[in-house]
Amino acid sequence: MRKPVARRISFYVILSLILVVVDSTLVKFLSLAGIVPDILVVWIVYIAIREGQIAGTTAGFFIGLVMNLMGMTESMLGLAALAKTVAGFTAGYFYNENKTYNTLGGYQFIVIVAVASFVHNVFYFIIFLQGSDLGWTRSVLAYGIPTTAYTAAIALLPMFAFARKYLS
Amino acid sequence: MRRLVDIVLLFKEYLLLIFYVLISLLLLALNDAPQIRTIRSLTLATIGAVESAFGFIPNYFELRSENTILREQNLSLSEELIRLREAKLENDRLRQLLALKERSPFTYVAATVVGKTMHLLQNTITLDVGEGDGVRPNMPIVTEGGLVGRVLSTSSRYAIGQILWNKDFRASAKVERGRVDAILQWEGGEHLSLKNVAKTQDVLIGDLVITSEYSTIYPSGIKIGIVSKTSQTPGALFQTIEVAPSVDLSRIEQVFVIMHTADSARVALEQKHTK
Repeated sequence: MRKPVARRISFYVILSLILVVVDSTLVKFLSLAGIVPDILVVWIVYIAIREGQIAGTTAGFFIGLVMNLMGMTESMLGLAALAKTVAGFTAGYFYNENKTYNTLGGYQFIVIVAVASFVHNVFYFIIFLQGSDLGWTRSVLAYGIPTTAYTAAIALLPMFAFARKYLS
Repeated sequence: MRRLVDIVLLFKEYLLLIFYVLISLLLLALNDAPQIRTIRSLTLATIGAVESAFGFIPNYFELRSENTILREQNLSLSEELIRLREAKLENDRLRQLLALKERSPFTYVAATVVGKTMHLLQNTITLDVGEGDGVRPNMPIVTEGGLVGRVLSTSSRYAIGQILWNKDFRASAKVERGRVDAILQWEGGEHLSLKNVAKTQDVLIGDLVITSEYSTIYPSGIKIGIVSKTSQTPGALFQTIEVAPSVDLSRIEQVFVIMHTADSARVALEQKHTK
């Protein structure tokens, strides 16, 4: 039996805000050679798999917007919103109402996080590096793919937690 | 309407994505970050390409007013073009006159030709300068091309000039190369005649003819024209020599009056001796 919509939305909003704060304060301690995981992409993918493509896209947009408005990303207002919107939309493609639990508790979740994170990074770097001497291909290879891999690795934690709670 | 709603519902995920992406791009466009300049230019180029691609579709509601505006603009631009062409030609003429003024030792008064009579034996021009400008009878009239004539009479604001194409015109002239002196006059047509040049004197086609120092009206050395024809009649003492004026007298618009008058002492002495 699912919780009422308003309650679910409130849950997602509150947890999103908490995760935004965590992302900006604590995640940097997980840095490996300058690469940090994007836990917000993991969260957006979770919402998209749980609630569908519209929810994932909307969550991506607003989480990115909040990050921008709180000044947690670089000075380009709208960039995180754009990249995370696309990431949420991409993750929403894998939404299947009948297989939600299996997806969230299985390896598919890692694959979806990797795909969404990669798309997110590609969009992010394409725009962020416009007008600079750095090529976006090189930047995606140097930062985007390691970040994608690290984010996918971090996604193992919620995947195992979900599997243990709902699938065991 | 129902169909439209169905389409919106069918593609709601994509429409939502487009909506969020557009808002994000709008926010990006409001940034001052250097990266955004490239994005802006790319966006403008994309919009321009789309507009260009659909530019062939006419807007019938605006075509009529657009045509009217374009016609008015066309008329206005045509008038402006004519004015600019006139200004350019005038500018070119004035530049040439200015160059003449700068290299000459004389004082000049610039004048515009405001009237012409070119179909009589006594052809004249009317200039917009007069006694108020210091112009007096017998002052030479020139352009950058050479001699035009002399001032015949003046009023306070205007002057009448006798041009080379006048049957009363006479000038002491010199063939520059051979230093041959002669009298220059007009006998009709476009050319002038050099008189009193003996058959033995050295005059060739192409020789430059200038004013002579013997003239009491014209300063020496002013270009008059080029010898265009020479011929000798059996039994005659003198050659027949035609001179093409160096100034196109039919097209003059701006001239200079040289502030030069005859040396009165010289004239008085010459007249006394002649008597």
